[in-house]
This record gives sequence, structure tokens and C-alpha cells, in this order.
Amino acid sequence: MAESNNQDLVTLTVDGMTTSVPQGTLVIEAARQVGVMIPHFCYHPKLTPDANCRMCLVEIEKLPRLQTSCSTKVAEGMVVKSNVPHVDEARKSVLEFILANHPLDCPVCDQGGRCDLQDFSHQYTPTTSRFTELKRVFPKEYFSPLIETQMNRCVQCMRCVRYCDQVMDVKALAPSGRGTLTEIKHFSAHELDCEFCGGCVQICPVGAITSRLSMYDFRPWMLKRTDTICTYCGDGCHITIQKKQDELIEVNSTQGVGRNNGDLCARGFFGYHASVHPDRIMHPLIKQQDGRFAQATWEEALELVAEKFQGIKTAFGGNAFGGLVTSRCTNEELYLFQKFMRGVLGSNRVDSSARFGHVNGTLPLLSVQGTHRWTATFEDIVDADALLLIGTNITETNPITGLKVKQAVKQGHAILVTMESLLPARGTISNITLLATHHLPVRPDHYHIAIVGLIKSVLDNGLVDPGLETRAPEFFRAIKAAIDSTSWAHIEEVSGVSREVFSQSAHAFSSSTRGMIIVGQGVLRSPRGAEMVTNLLDFLILTGRHGQPGCGLCPLAEENNDQGAIEMGATAEFLPGPIAIGHHDTRQALSKLWEVDLPQEPASSLMEMFRDAQAGQVKAMYIVGENPVESLPQTGKIKEALESLEFLVCQELFLTETAQLADVVLPACSYVEKDGTFTNTEGMVQPVRQAIDPIGESRPDWEIFSALSVVMDQPMEYGEARDIFKEIRSVIPGYGLVGPVATRPTPKVDVVQQYLQEGFAHGLATRYVCTQDQPASDTPFLLASTQSLFHSGKFSTRSKGLLQIQSSGAIMLNPSDAKKLGIASGDSVCVSNAHGAVTTIARVLNRIPPDVACFPEHFDQDIRCLFELHIDKESHVPYSKLTWVRLERVEKGDV
Amino acid sequence: MLAEKYQDHIADLLARYPVKRSALLPLLNLAQKEEGYVSESAMKEIAEILDLTPPQVYETATFYTMFNMNPIGKFHVQICKSLMCGLVGSDPLIQWVQQRLGVGPGQTTSDRLFTLSVVECLGSCGTGPMMQVNDDYYERLSEERVGRIFDELKETGNSSLKSGPFMVPEPISR
Ligand code: SF4
Ligand code: SF4
Ligand code: SF4
Ligand code: FES
Repeated sequence: MAESNNQDLVTLTVDGMTTSVPQGTLVIEAARQVGVMIPHFCYHPKLTPDANCRMCLVEIEKLPRLQTSCSTKVAEGMVVKSNVPHVDEARKSVLEFILANHPLDCPVCDQGGRCDLQDFSHQYTPTTSRFTELKRVFPKEYFSPLIETQMNRCVQCMRCVRYCDQVMDVKALAPSGRGTLTEIKHFSAHELDCEFCGGCVQICPVGAITSRLSMYDFRPWMLKRTDTICTYCGDGCHITIQKKQDELIEVNSTQGVGRNNGDLCARGFFGYHASVHPDRIMHPLIKQQDGRFAQATWEEALELVAEKFQGIKTAFGGNAFGGLVTSRCTNEELYLFQKFMRGVLGSNRVDSSARFGHVNGTLPLLSVQGTHRWTATFEDIVDADALLLIGTNITETNPITGLKVKQAVKQGHAILVTMESLLPARGTISNITLLATHHLPVRPDHYHIAIVGLIKSVLDNGLVDPGLETRAPEFFRAIKAAIDSTSWAHIEEVSGVSREVFSQSAHAFSSSTRGMIIVGQGVLRSPRGAEMVTNLLDFLILTGRHGQPGCGLCPLAEENNDQGAIEMGATAEFLPGPIAIGHHDTRQALSKLWEVDLPQEPASSLMEMFRDAQAGQVKAMYIVGENPVESLPQTGKIKEALESLEFLVCQELFLTETAQLADVVLPACSYVEKDGTFTNTEGMVQPVRQAIDPIGESRPDWEIFSALSVVMDQPMEYGEARDIFKEIRSVIPGYGLVGPVATRPTPKVDVVQQYLQEGFAHGLATRYVCTQDQPASDTPFLLASTQSLFHSGKFSTRSKGLLQIQSSGAIMLNPSDAKKLGIASGDSVCVSNAHGAVTTIARVLNRIPPDVACFPEHFDQDIRCLFELHIDKESHVPYSKLTWVRLERVEKGDV
Repeated sequence: MLAEKYQDHIADLLARYPVKRSALLPLLNLAQKEEGYVSESAMKEIAEILDLTPPQVYETATFYTMFNMNPIGKFHVQICKSLMCGLVGSDPLIQWVQQRLGVGPGQTTSDRLFTLSVVECLGSCGTGPMMQVNDDYYERLSEERVGRIFDELKETGNSSLKSGPFMVPEPISR
């Protein structure tokens, strides 16, 4: 509802009850507040009123005829009657009309038991009808592999169509035809091709659009619900998992609940079967002499691990251990893992998948402003008046944050500046750059120079915060000098964006009062990620937006608990907090609490561990839920490193390439089988709850750490995940669980001060220097490994629902490049460079920029051999998302 | 491809409206003129020109009954079935035409010459029964006259029995 302040309250009476509501409230909402539920089909709080179903009629005194309460706004002194006989009569008539064409096939309808039409019919209509005419019958048409339509049941409320347009901005649904014969279709008889967010399934008040994943499998009253958090990205959507006995039936979300406020993406809505894939590891496995795995009991496996760990610790000391954990784990597990590594094994070699990019956001935030979290929330995105999106195809990586951006632009009229490689072309999924007020099309390897261009525009156009030069003269002068060393000609030439567009964008952003920068994988997972984020913080400071309410720089977390991994101390440089690893007081406090001496050796991160493993210094590794052999390119020699270990333990759901190298594999539970908390991208700590029993003999990761510590005689014992959370709260006072909105930390004044005085100088010699990677003439295409909307890492590729939408990778390229190379969608294409050659299928897409090719990372098993590995000197992030290749057509595809 | 063939015309259409999307109906008309019906490829192209999705174009095209969503024959025969024509015998005439052409409403003859449609009032109530073939009206129809019209159309592509051109109603003659 429209926001307004208390002065604009309007008082009205609904069925004799008086209430005050903000001006602009709709009568139907005002009635809800006093407990009067007005029946409706076409109204939905997310959508603009359409008033097409006439079900919500009420009497309003002094107004002729009955009024639709879903489109009438309250007025002072209004007297609304919903429970008078002629209102009842009118609603009955409306229902009679709707039912005149309804098949009344409730016994075979999946909506039966939770259908608005069924409920209202019970409430209002007699069991007979005056209509004797034949009912409308639509021929049954196939709609899509995941979504079923049964148009005879449609009440033509257009909620699905409006949702797909207004909220999703996908516009994939068309009411075709007219009148009674209006039918919801995609495009003619074509199968639905869209974002598959499931929104239309959820918003349809009747059984006209349903999910095929659970078709005919259940009745709503058989379902047992569990409220939990989605595991597929950092947005942290609230989902309700519905099961029948121990069978997963469906996932839904609830309007008004969770950070997603009832919206989901395809991964959340259709991806829930990954956990119950038949390939799940059911028992502990121990590798035999012959290299094959044999099934073992938990006792045998844990004892073997404990014995080996003890032996290695005695022989080589704690520093011989390395530990890597996935940030898909809960906070409790991440906390316990680092406690196990540091406290039990005595090693400072701890890292998590937050290393793959999220640290590039956190480290600069900490050093510039002293916060490790966003200083804004999703609500601030919606309320922003200017949003700057950099290097993020937000719809595909963080779809729900993307919806907040769409809402800000479409409803709040925020200015949107996008700096993205995607071109603003319409496709079957939405494209955020189409909503941009200013779009800067920048190749994926040119974000750095484009950011420099943006800052240069601020300086050159006099857009600098007026007080800054006096407040922080050294900072101002140093940044200016650093920026001045790059010329406009160079910026324009490399980035391909004109000076004018830069300055329009800079103007647009600095004329805002609530300006936010949202940074995505294009920056965080590319070389110089941390430098770019620091530079963007400089941009915020220069424009005077830094530290202002509703402003801030927000790095998007890719994995569901990237943020938690850092806060729990599951990265090399941090103890829980996150507090710097060397912080004396924290070390002492932890030593005391854990009753151990903390290791003194310098911390080592992911890539250093592998390096040291190859050098023989790391003897054993404990890898939880990560698959570095597959996620890092061959040139990183990860496999060689792991093979040189004396002992490798993997804790996994599936026998991944990495797990196959292990000496012992411990079967772990997925997110639907355990309790705990996840911390989402905006720093909101949310409860994860167990929905089904553990698959096979698998156990939650925390339980395994705990059991292992007991066998090793250094017990970390907890009865349940909640006990660990209590300990976390004693280490990080007040951690998490405080109300429905994430807390917004404000930048620490002393840290910012320190940064402006001297901190800025750190790395200044290099971080504004624009370098340029020239493609070799024989490998002219920049190949980017990108995230798809329909998958999350490799985990989701075990979900039968998502595989129906996307089951393989394809090399995506621009039509003009395709034409030049004589390539069409469906053709086999050879992608090659000095590292090898791979044949794959081509897909021609308007939104891919020229000279760029994209391939979804979820299916990169073969193609990843073409990528190289670069390690960030500062943040130690391994980069392997970009490479140069050439493309050739091999064979014509069948069209 | 409409965009290449009618570049100037489309530019002119787009220039007429403050919102691009408003040019949707004129463009659908253009597409129908071009191919006799609104083809899928035309809808996709229009979507691209107007920055809409194909489903959005499809929605509008299917709302208007005068857009043909399937290929039609060379001559689109639209016979009025509204009340006024009904009173002067359009029903039996429609039956007769169906037999003569061997197709029902919405169908096209196998030689792809005639598509039969039965439509609502075409505004020629004083001279019923009547029909419209492509852009021409034929009025005061009888089985014999319709037969002749079809023959002539088949042979010459034109028929002498068509009405008009006229700008004002015919004078009433007694
Ligand atoms: S599932 Fe597809 S059609 Fe349905 S609302 Fe989402 S994007 Fe639109
Ligand atoms: S399919 Fe459902 S949501 Fe869509 S118009 Fe019909 S009844 Fe409404
Ligand atoms: S993948 Fe992300 S956006 Fe999609 S439902 Fe899960 S948490 Fe929400
Ligand atoms: S809910 Fe008001 S008219 Fe449909």
C-alpha cells in the first residue's frame, strides 16, 4: 500500500466498526484490518486494481449502486456495508455467472481444498443454477513441462497476466480471444517459455494454472508444511516446503512473509527435488586398497578419520590441515567447522566458498566503512530514488533483489543506471537493462575502466559533495590525481561508452537523495574485484551519498550463506564476528570459551592451501560440500594437489569429482533435512527448518563435526543446532533473529575518518590504474562463464524440475557475430583456445553483446578446460570466469 | 520482413503516437494487408519494433475478430448474419454458399481461392442479404447472384456485381 505518514489518516466505518487507515488505502484493505474479509478474485495487494471480477461489491453510503471495494479508495467518514442482504445477493449473482462456465471438476482439481471459488461457492450460492446453456469448453492444450493450464476452470481475473507483467516484467502470458472465450495462453500454440517463477501458479485463485511437478499427487489437507529458507541464492527467500509423509510435494511462498514477500524464482519454486535425487550418498564410504569405495558404518568412518587426523597432527602439527566448507551450510555448521579446524585440529587454514567472490565485497566494506554488511535493506532498494547496478545480471543471479529493483523503477520511478555487459534486448526472461534510465553497455572485462569513467565524470562535472574537499583534502586530491592519470580518450576507447553517457549517469546518480549501488558477480568474481568495490565506495563518498540514510554499496551474495560464512569466521582472515584473525582480545576470549589454544600460524586461504598441499606442507584436508576439482580450472592443478595429500575427507551429498579422490566420504544432509540459520545477502539471519528425515544415513554437517570431535577426545557437544546458535550469540552478541527486517548498520565514523585521512592510500598506486587485456587475433571472443536463472552451482542440476527448463549448456552469442561466423541456433560449434577445444551447441541471443560469448557455469564440465586461473594478490580470490576463445561452426543443427 | 519493406510507412506510424505501443493496431493491419492474415513471424517482428513481447502482440491480435489468425484464401468472403440480413434470408443463403464452396465458416476451399466467414453487421442493413469480399461490398444477394460473383472472381479476379464506389447512401427509388 501507498506509504504515508500519520497525519493523513482517514476514518471510516466498515460493518459498524470504525477504523483509521492511511489515505489512499483501498476499501477492501481497510475492511481486512477490522476483520471483514471481502470475497474477491481479481484483487491482489501486489497488483494494481483491475476490478474485473465484480466479486468484491460493497455498499457505500451516499454512493449510487454497489462499488468494487478493490478499486475504491477510502474517504473520510465513509460508511461501508459488506454484510447487508443486497450485497449478498449481488455477490451470489456474480458467482452464478462465473459458475455458469465453470466445469465444477473439483474432485480432479489440484486446487480443490484451497480454492477461492470453492470457498465462496460454499459461502454464497445455492446448489442450483438458472443457467441451462452448455458450458464453454476449451480444447485441452499442452502448456509447458512444468506448468499446467486447465482453462475451463479460469475465472478470467487476469491475476496471472498482471503478475507476469507488473511484478515479473516478463509479460509471457496473453489473454487471447475475448469475452467468455478468453483463454490464457503464451504465444499462440507455443509452449510456455518464461522465467518459470511459478508466480502465475501461486496467484491463480482457482485451479486454472497448476504445477505439473505435483500434479494429482496430493490434496491440500494431506500436506505437512515446514517454513524454511531457500538454498539457491543469497536472497534468502522464505519458502514453505509441503510434504506428504516423507515425499516432497511442492514449495510455496506467502504474500507478506519473508524478504521475498511471497515472490519466488524458478529455482525456489521448482528446484526442490535436488535434495532427494537418487544419487545421494546413503552411507559413509571408506576407500579400499584397490581405490574403490566400500560402505562403512559411521563408527568405522569416524574412527578412521579421527585416527588419521590424530596421527597427522602428532607428526606434523595443526598447520598440516586444510579445511574448506561450502557456504550452503548453516551458520551453526560454518561456525562449528571453523571451531573444529582451529580448535580441534589447530589449523588456521580455513576457508569457504565465500572466497570465490563475496570476500571482494566484504573486505573493502570493512576497510572503508567498518561494516561487513549492507548499510541498506531490500526496503531501501524499493524506496531508493537512484539505483546503480554494476556488473550484475540481477535477474539471473539474485532474482528477488531484482524484483525489488523492478519495483523501485516501475512503481517508485527510481532512476536506474545499469553498467552491464547485457544488451537491452527483450527475451523470454526479463532484462533489467530494459528498465534502465541510463545503460552503459560494458564488456565483462571492462568494468574497472568504466567505473573510473563514472568517477571521472563526478570530478569533471563538479558533482563532488561540496564539503568533502575541506573535510578530506588529502583523499580528494589523491583520488583526483589518480583519476586524472587516465584520459577520457582512453576511457571512451576501451569501454566503448561515450563521455556524455558517463556524465549523464553520474548526474542522475548524484541528483538523488537515496542512492544505492548494487554490485554483482561481474565485479565480485572478476579480476580486480576488491579494487573495483573500493573505487565504488570512493564514488559514493565523492558524491556525498556515503553514510546517508537509504544509501550504500551492496555486494550481492551468490550463495545462500556467503554472508554467514564470513560472519561465522569460516574464511581465512576472520574469526567469528567477523573479527580479524589476529585480534588479540577476541583470540583470548575464544581460547577461553573453546578451552583450547588457538593456532599461531598465519592463516591461509583456499588457493594457498592447495599450493601448500602440492608443496607437501598440507598433509590432510577436510572438504565439506565443495567441489574444487570441478569449480576451478585444470590449470589450478587442484586435482594434483589433492592427490598429493596423505588423507582427504569429503563431506558431501553426492559423489563429486572431488569426493571421488577422498579417503573417507561422510554423507551429509541437505538444507531440507536440518535445522539452523542462513544469513542472506542483506545480513538478515533467518531460521532454516528440517522438513524431511535425513536421506539414508546422512547427518547434518554440524552433527558430524560434533561427533568427530568427540571421537577425537576434544568434544564439542551440542544437543541441537540451537545450542550452537546460543554459543554464536555469546561470541557475537545479539547475532541475528531480531524482527522482520535486517538491521542496517551505519558506517563506523572512526573507520571512515581513518580511511579518508590515510586508509585510502592503501593500494591507491594500483587500484585506479587502467590496464587492458588485448585479445589475440586468433581468439577474438571473450568467453564468460555465467550464472543462469534456472540453476545454482551444480547442486540444482540434480533437480528434475529445473532440468526440464534447462538441462544442458549452450554457447550463447550475438546475432551479428553468429551471422559473421555462419552460425545459427542449434548448430554445433567448436570453442577453442590454446588450452583445448570443446564442441557444444550454439544459441543466438539478442542480449549477448558483440565479441562476447557466454556459457552457463552449471554445465561447464567440458568447457572449463578453456579457462585460466588468476589469483587476486590482495583478496586471494581465484578468478576463472573469463577467457579468450575462437568459435567455428562444426555442423548444422536440425532446426 | 515488414521492417525492410515498409520502413518509411512504419516510421510514419510510430511518429504519430507519443507511446510506441499505440502503433500496435496499425502495424497489425499492415501485417494483415501484406499476408492476408497476421502471421507468427509478423507478430514477432511487431513485438520487436514496439518493444513488446510476442504474447502481448498476440493478445491484441486475437481480441479483434477482424484480424485473421490463419492464412486465408485469395478471396475472403464475409457474409453478414446479423438480424437485418437474417430477416431477408441470409441464413439459407449462408447454407447455400457452404454447399457451393464445400467449406464451413472459418474454412478455406482446397484450391485456396475462397475463405468463408460469417460475420456481424457490416452496416448495409437496407440492402441485405449482403457480403464483403476482400475490400468490396456485394448487396441484395441471391443464390444466383452469389454464384455469378464467385464464377467471375474465379475467372477474372474481379466481379462486375460489386457495389459502389459511392460516398453517400443510394437514393431511395420507388
Ligand atoms: S511462471 Fe512464467 S508465465 Fe508464470 S508468472 Fe512466472 S514468468 Fe510469468
Ligand atoms: S488462469 Fe487463474 S489467474 Fe489467470 S485469469 Fe484465469 S483464473 Fe485468473
Ligand atoms: S534462488 Fe534466490 S531468489 Fe530464487 S527462490 Fe531461492 S533465495 Fe529466492
Ligand atoms: S476483486 Fe474487486 S472486482 Fe475483482
